[in-house]
Amino acid sequence: MLSRVAENLFWISRYVERAENLARVLNDAFHLELDAAGLHGDSEVKGPLDQVLNVLAGQDRFELTWDPRESEGLLMNLTFDSTRSHSLLSMISRARENARATQDTLSPESWSQLNQLYLALTRSKSRRQFEASPYRFYDRVKRSCILFHALIDSTMPRNEAFYFLEVGRFIERIDMISRVLNVWFSAVGEGDKSPDYSLRLVYWTGLLRSCSAYEAYLKRYHERMDAESIVQYLVFDLDFPRSMRFCVGRCLESLHGITGGGRANLAATEAERRLGRLESELRYADLQEVFARGLPNFLGGVQDSCARIVEEMQRAYFLN
Amino acid sequence: MTGIRSASESSGLFSRYSPYGFDEMFTSAGVVRPAYVPLQQRLLNLSSTELERRHRIADLTMQRQGITFTVYGRNKGVERIMPFDPVPRIIPADEWDRIERGLKQRVRALNLFVHDVYHQRQILKDGIVPTELVLGASGYRRELHGIEVARDIYIHISGIDLIRDEQGNYLVLEDNCRTPSGVSYVLKNRQVMKEVFPLLFQQYDVQPIDDYASNLRAMLRYVAPGGIQDPTIVVLSPGVYNSAYYEHSFLARQMGIELVEGRDLVFENGQIAMRTTRGLQRIDVIYRRVDDDFLDPLAFRPDSQLGVAGLLGAYRAGQVTLVNGVGTGVCDDKGIYPFVPDIIRYYLGEDAILSNVETFRPLIDSHRQHILANLDKLVVKAVDGSGGYGMLIGPASTAEQREEFRAKILANPRGYIAQPTITLSQHPTFIGDHLEGRHVDLRPFVLYGEDIKILPGGLTRVALPRGSLVVNSSQGGGSKDTWVLGAGHS
Repeated sequence: MLSRVAENLFWISRYVERAENLARVLNDAFHLELDAAGLHGDSEVKGPLDQVLNVLAGQDRFELTWDPRESEGLLMNLTFDSTRSHSLLSMISRARENARATQDTLSPESWSQLNQLYLALTRSKSRRQFEASPYRFYDRVKRSCILFHALIDSTMPRNEAFYFLEVGRFIERIDMISRVLNVWFSAVGEGDKSPDYSLRLVYWTGLLRSCSAYEAYLKRYHERMDAESIVQYLVFDLDFPRSMRFCVGRCLESLHGITGGGRANLAATEAERRLGRLESELRYADLQEVFARGLPNFLGGVQDSCARIVEEMQRAYFLN
Repeated sequence: MTGIRSASESSGLFSRYSPYGFDEMFTSAGVVRPAYVPLQQRLLNLSSTELERRHRIADLTMQRQGITFTVYGRNKGVERIMPFDPVPRIIPADEWDRIERGLKQRVRALNLFVHDVYHQRQILKDGIVPTELVLGASGYRRELHGIEVARDIYIHISGIDLIRDEQGNYLVLEDNCRTPSGVSYVLKNRQVMKEVFPLLFQQYDVQPIDDYASNLRAMLRYVAPGGIQDPTIVVLSPGVYNSAYYEHSFLARQMGIELVEGRDLVFENGQIAMRTTRGLQRIDVIYRRVDDDFLDPLAFRPDSQLGVAGLLGAYRAGQVTLVNGVGTGVCDDKGIYPFVPDIIRYYLGEDAILSNVETFRPLIDSHRQHILANLDKLVVKAVDGSGGYGMLIGPASTAEQREEFRAKILANPRGYIAQPTITLSQHPTFIGDHLEGRHVDLRPFVLYGEDIKILPGGLTRVALPRGSLVVNSSQGGGSKDTWVLGAGHS
């Protein structure tokens, strides 16, 4: 397939995944802000919206200050401001623009789905819908993004195009999980600086919710809500679709799909080799060791690996 | 589905309808033409609200699928859907048969003409067409002189614009032998029509058009260089900002081939290849939707980013086939147009089946005098203009505009032609909540491969503003589904 098209596909699903995650964290922050308002008191800890900004800032390196009394204005801005590269609308616009230039490779169903999401966001009605209920608005966006991926899954043959879409989607998810974990954990802090249990609980719940993991987590760990279990679940769990290990596995399968490699030929390319190493790291990591080394260190390492993998893909496939 | 409405309510759709000029549905006496009788019955059974509702669904369907074209002018270009009119145009089998024969004859002759112009130039030597008109045409490419092309076919795909005069005769208005667009709307209009107005199809035997993409692909394969068995074929598009981008991607998808842009291509070892995830892959046939001038910065416009350096060299060496061939623009030149009936007679020894519109040429003294004396009645066109740009419609012009064109014609008589203003035929068209007559034309699409195949029907464009004669989509034109009836029907 054309290198340009492969790169487009990779970014289309990355942007859609990122938009979905943004809708998740914004929605989540909006709720946390309500829940946490009474608990914060004079606490030094920053509010949930600040944390979201940290997640995004890490991604886009921007400074944004805001007035806590105008949180809805901020949400509006992060959602609709097309001049900000990290706004929801910007991401969907870029995904759609790329998709328009790659229409012949996507299935008509998936293209039409993305196009509809874009049209819905750019209609004037959409701001009114947002104002009426941010929760419902974000929920719709989230569903639309998921539907896009679902349509790809059920209408596209398992060929190169499909695998590039998959890699983009899961690389982005790994990246996002590591950012969200990082920011949330530093917010909750450790030892003396840690806020009291009820506030921590609000944060843990929020974190799990933003990964659609709350109920699945409870089924596994019941009422135990602590840092170790949460990391165990969101990083090392084999079965949960929003755990890092799960996503890395999917990425690796898709890369094999692209190279035609597999068990016998595990590291046909440098990207595969690095991804394979990340996979075995997650497979054999020891939780205590991770905490002993410091979670931020560990997560930083994962992010570096992801960045290198993308670079290697650029070299191998996109710059031909 | 809606039931039968009472007579007073149902006739509402046609209540404001007045025939004018040649009407496609009604005779001058106001009688419905036989082919339209079942359709009119169906329409009478629809309420205007129902028609309006379905009309909206049709628009929404197009929007959601991204069936848009880009209009230039304000900022980067605005994506729009081409307004779709739900009342189909119907062409009886016998009428279509004549159109088809006329188009085949015309395209065959024009193709011979292009070959001759770039080889022996016999037709010029015999004085049938003035040499200076051909060599001075903006579409003439002297770089192609003496070059052989696969199967001697240059005009692989053409869209010949037809109009009907007040008597209903089909006349050729324009030959589009470079990169005519619009065929995707033909195919999509039919699809949407079937989805949204299935009931209108009842009682009709409409000739199917679904095989266009496979015919196109078969043609592209047929013209591969040196008869390569399984050639790699691509569609070359200027990119996502081109007004017809949707069509490029649609055709690539329908044919299951790659849609490439200039930046995807490289010239290597005398051949054209595309950059893929598995390295370079050789290309044999390029269905290009990029104009001649932009194909190769080495040969033509050096500032072009839409083509690839070396392409013309590979083409001249027969390493790659370009569809359409380079230099077919000589046929589109309106200065050559008046000679097409002579061209047909010269190469085929036949009279033209489809007539031209009467055309005056400022280069001839008597014609020039006639034109300048009748600017308010004539349509004046730049010979290398298209898309409805650069023309003067006399009856709708201001004195100032006429002065401007008078000066232009005197300064450059080669650059213009003039034609009588023809009232195009009109067709019932859904406006607001009722039907009104609107002017239409017809662009059939002709494929020239192993044999000549014509898509039954083509693109019926409709001028939506009342009284307007300009059907171009860039200037507010819409389109209709066009039904050619099976032979058993007429």
